[in-house]
Amino acid sequence: MASVTLRGIRKDFGRTQVIKGIDLAIEDKEFVVFVGPSGCGKSTLLRLIAGLEDATAGDILIGGRTVNTVAPKDRNIAMVFQNYALYPPMTVARNLGFGLRAARLPAAEIDRRVNEAAAMLGLETLLARRPGELSGGQRQRVAMGRALVRDPQVFLFDEPLSNLDAQLRNQVRTEIKKLHQQIRTTAIYVTHDQVEAMTLADRIVLLRDGRIEQVGTPTDLFERPANRFVAGFIGSPAMNFFPARLDGAEIVLPWMRLPCPPFATAPTDGRITLGIRPEDFLAGTDTHAVPEACRFEAQVGVVEPMGSESLLVINAAGTDIQVRLIGRAFPQTGSTLGFAVNPAELHVFDAATGNTLRR
Amino acid sequence: MQGWFSGLTLARKQAVWAWVFLAVPLAFFTLVRFWPALDAFALSLSRWNLVGPRKYVGLANYERMAADPVFWQVLGNTFEYLLLGLPASLLLAFLVAFHLDRIQTGQGLLRALYFLPHLTTATAMAWVWRWFYQPPPVGLLNAWLTALGFAQQPFLRSTTQALPAVLVPAIWAALGFQVVIFMAGLKAIPRSYYEAAEIDGAGSWQILREITLPLLLPSLVFLFITTSIGLLRIFDLVYNITAGGEGGPLNATKPLVLSIYQSAFGRMDMGYASAQTVVLFVILLALSLLQMRLLRSRP
Ligand SMILES: Nc1ncnc2c1ncn2[C@@H]1O[C@H](COP(=O)(O)OP(=O)(O)OP(=O)(O)O)[C@@H](O)[C@H]1O
Ligand SMILES: [Mg+2]
Repeated sequence: MASVTLRGIRKDFGRTQVIKGIDLAIEDKEFVVFVGPSGCGKSTLLRLIAGLEDATAGDILIGGRTVNTVAPKDRNIAMVFQNYALYPPMTVARNLGFGLRAARLPAAEIDRRVNEAAAMLGLETLLARRPGELSGGQRQRVAMGRALVRDPQVFLFDEPLSNLDAQLRNQVRTEIKKLHQQIRTTAIYVTHDQVEAMTLADRIVLLRDGRIEQVGTPTDLFERPANRFVAGFIGSPAMNFFPARLDGAEIVLPWMRLPCPPFATAPTDGRITLGIRPEDFLAGTDTHAVPEACRFEAQVGVVEPMGSESLLVINAAGTDIQVRLIGRAFPQTGSTLGFAVNPAELHVFDAATGNTLRR
Repeated sequence: MQGWFSGLTLARKQAVWAWVFLAVPLAFFTLVRFWPALDAFALSLSRWNLVGPRKYVGLANYERMAADPVFWQVLGNTFEYLLLGLPASLLLAFLVAFHLDRIQTGQGLLRALYFLPHLTTATAMAWVWRWFYQPPPVGLLNAWLTALGFAQQPFLRSTTQALPAVLVPAIWAALGFQVVIFMAGLKAIPRSYYEAAEIDGAGSWQILREITLPLLLPSLVFLFITTSIGLLRIFDLVYNITAGGEGGPLNATKPLVLSIYQSAFGRMDMGYASAQTVVLFVILLALSLLQMRLLRSRP
């Protein structure tokens, strides 16, 4: 069990700066997810913690000990790779025991721990097979088992689910969460999938271009995004953004004037970006729940019924808006309907910097 | 004809065209390769001096071979080339490839330098090495030995040193090709295996034994077979490096192919040459079958 601390971490590959200064404190037993668009440096950061890469600057501490010059094997970590990196010539049992053999543990102890991990992951019947004879999901579990047997202080995962199909991914995601609740070892998990991040994380670290955009619980990032990038990255379908102007206590949009939420500070030039999530719109009689000023009329363009909810694209004064309505009923394409905005869920960003104007 | 062809399905039409094109090289191959090869079997049961009539003699050529001490010496030499050359050559190539794979700068250049001898003709190489091995003051190696204070060596003139001395350039010539194959095999091993092993704390010996070598097995088997065949068929190097193409002092370096050549074109004894060819063929066939077995039984 251990905390992980990053202090001023930078990493250059030749002349390209990939990690541009990262400070982060991960607590013992915490499940932290690094998420961000492709190429933002998530894997690199994880590999720095693992010791597979050397930091250009900064300190890495595991369990309070600086490990900058400590070899990967002595950092007491285990890593699950995206392609699983199971050794093809070896059986599952030998794959699981590889690290223990390297540590020269007695054979009986190796057997015991391999069987224990196999039982935990339901791999007992697969122990004699080779990786080539396993399905994708089984391989994934063997990779997890190989990390598990080492009883590490920190688990590192690099996109462990990206090679699985959608259904299996949901299932294994749940298993990983259960496993973590069971063994309570610090875990750092890399993904570019915000759904994985939201469902697994105690805390999410959202990265962009080698820097941290925001650190917080999934709820923090969803409800109080620090900037426009975070707001757009977290949540699906993505948040709507509208260029708008702040006029006293009102937000001016081409098709309506909204009361400005009290928590927002005004930018110097009054130009803002208003963010509204698709699910924060109301339609039909539901609109009576909000003040008159929050209501507007719009034409329904596209309707995508999804069973228990529907996704719409509506058009107000020439602006397309993504709307998600809960419930089985959905409006007709082409009809004009009353909609409303939930005034408690407005996100106001400085148009120039993209930073939130929330106080 | 036109009607018959246009009535076929597309797949059949393609097959017909493929066979039309394949028929030409097939006929050529049958004529210049398979037929003479098959004829060698018949010839091994005959006596023929290349111009006169062929006379059937049954197994006489084989009986003569079994009683010929030179044949057994030559067969022994051939296997000596194989048994000394194969491990030395593969080990050396693996060591070079393994270390070359680890360096970043100059890797391409070094690999090209190792590959260069492979492009040189064996004859030219043989003559250069023949000069290396000469007694002083001509020979380079003996000059070096003397300069370093060691005793001079007879090399090609000794019955014990001649064969290894011929083997050295053979190994050197094959090295480039083997290194390139080994490096391709090493490059095909994903880096994440090594990284996982590094995190698992495996030592370099465990990594080599449990990861690298098993994953390199296909390359290894391929080189094992091609190198074996190359060594069993060694000829032009020996022919050119030994004085008069005789096969060294007291036949010390003479391999089977050189013996076949001498029987056929030195003594015009085509039947005896063919009988030896059949023996070589059987050995090579056995080796190729072994290769197929090894490759198929791979997990
Ligand atoms: N060994 C390397 N040499 C040079 N550049 C590298 C190296 N490894 C990574 N990079 C660069 O660093 C940047 C970040 O790479 P990284 O693999 O950390 O991204 P990522 O966030 O994991 O992306 P993805 O979601 O696609 O896996 C990329 O622009 C990549 O090209
Ligand atoms: Mg990555």
